[in-house]
Amino acid sequence: MTRDELKTYLDSNYSDKIRPLDTGRYDLIYEINAENLFSFAKAIAEDENLKFDYICNIGGSDTGENLEAVYSVASVSKKLRLDFKVILPYENPEIESVQKVWKGANWHEREMWELFGINIKNHNDLKCFLLPEDWNQGHPMRKDWDAPDFVRFPEL
Amino acid sequence: MGLIKKVPVYSEKIPGGGIICTSLEQVLHFGQAKSLWYLLFGTACCAIELMCTGASRYDFDRLGMMFRATPRQSDLIIAAGTITKKMAPRLRKLYDQMAEPRYVIAMGGCTIKGGPFYYDCYSVEKGIDHIVPVDIYIPGCPPRPESLLEGCLKLQDKIQKQKLSDWQEK
Repeated sequence: MTRDELKTYLDSNYSDKIRPLDTGRYDLIYEINAENLFSFAKAIAEDENLKFDYICNIGGSDTGENLEAVYSVASVSKKLRLDFKVILPYENPEIESVQKVWKGANWHEREMWELFGINIKNHNDLKCFLLPEDWNQGHPMRKDWDAPDFVRFPEL
Repeated sequence: MGLIKKVPVYSEKIPGGGIICTSLEQVLHFGQAKSLWYLLFGTACCAIELMCTGASRYDFDRLGMMFRATPRQSDLIIAAGTITKKMAPRLRKLYDQMAEPRYVIAMGGCTIKGGPFYYDCYSVEKGIDHIVPVDIYIPGCPPRPESLLEGCLKLQDKIQKQKLSDWQEK
């Protein structure tokens, strides 16, 4: 299945859950609502034509207007790649864990939780991953983050 | 009798016997300075220079510096590399496990004041001198092996100038 065939397939079968975003010639990227995330993940992992069995990465980002959780998945057997992202508000961002679909999501979700403050529902082991165990200074990857010993680069 | 030439000032050869007169202070600190065993503690790219200094071209061993893999056999920590906030308690723990007298060399910009991670960084400790007491600072990013050797010679000088009474206060 080529990139265009994948796009056609997804648009015809999953159009109720996902909205395509324009990415030019890179991997396909879709936007998805937080409540559809788990069911969509389960569906594409179990779909016989897609078999997305591998989670490459889960990344967070702070665009300045809202938070985003970006998922990159791949299918080893069908040689496919797909990205999809969830746009979340600053107040109480919350998504469902996809650990039950891809086990590798565990560490990525812990990292996203501590660095961006995105709460993960149904995560079995939500504790600090890269930050010190007793960290209590908030979520350092947010743009408005500040701490007593944090020094911003001076304006030149 | 090569030792007599090396132990300075107060040593004196007594004619007719294999005996020298010196002070305990001199001999003790001479011995200490010439066999500084350092802890293998490389946390970032400075460790590459440390390895290079230990290898044959620069040959750390000729200063009597041997690496040890445990803090209990070491006299010196060469903190080679960035110390993150998560690593800081571990560094303190290693330092506490060493037997006195113990010394610390802060190698590279990161250990002195955060180095390139001073601005816009949430994770790096800005200087290790508020975790452990530092004897010698070696600037550079990373410092060349010559700088590290120079720093170690400076530390040897410092040790040889110590008084026995200093030990209590440390």
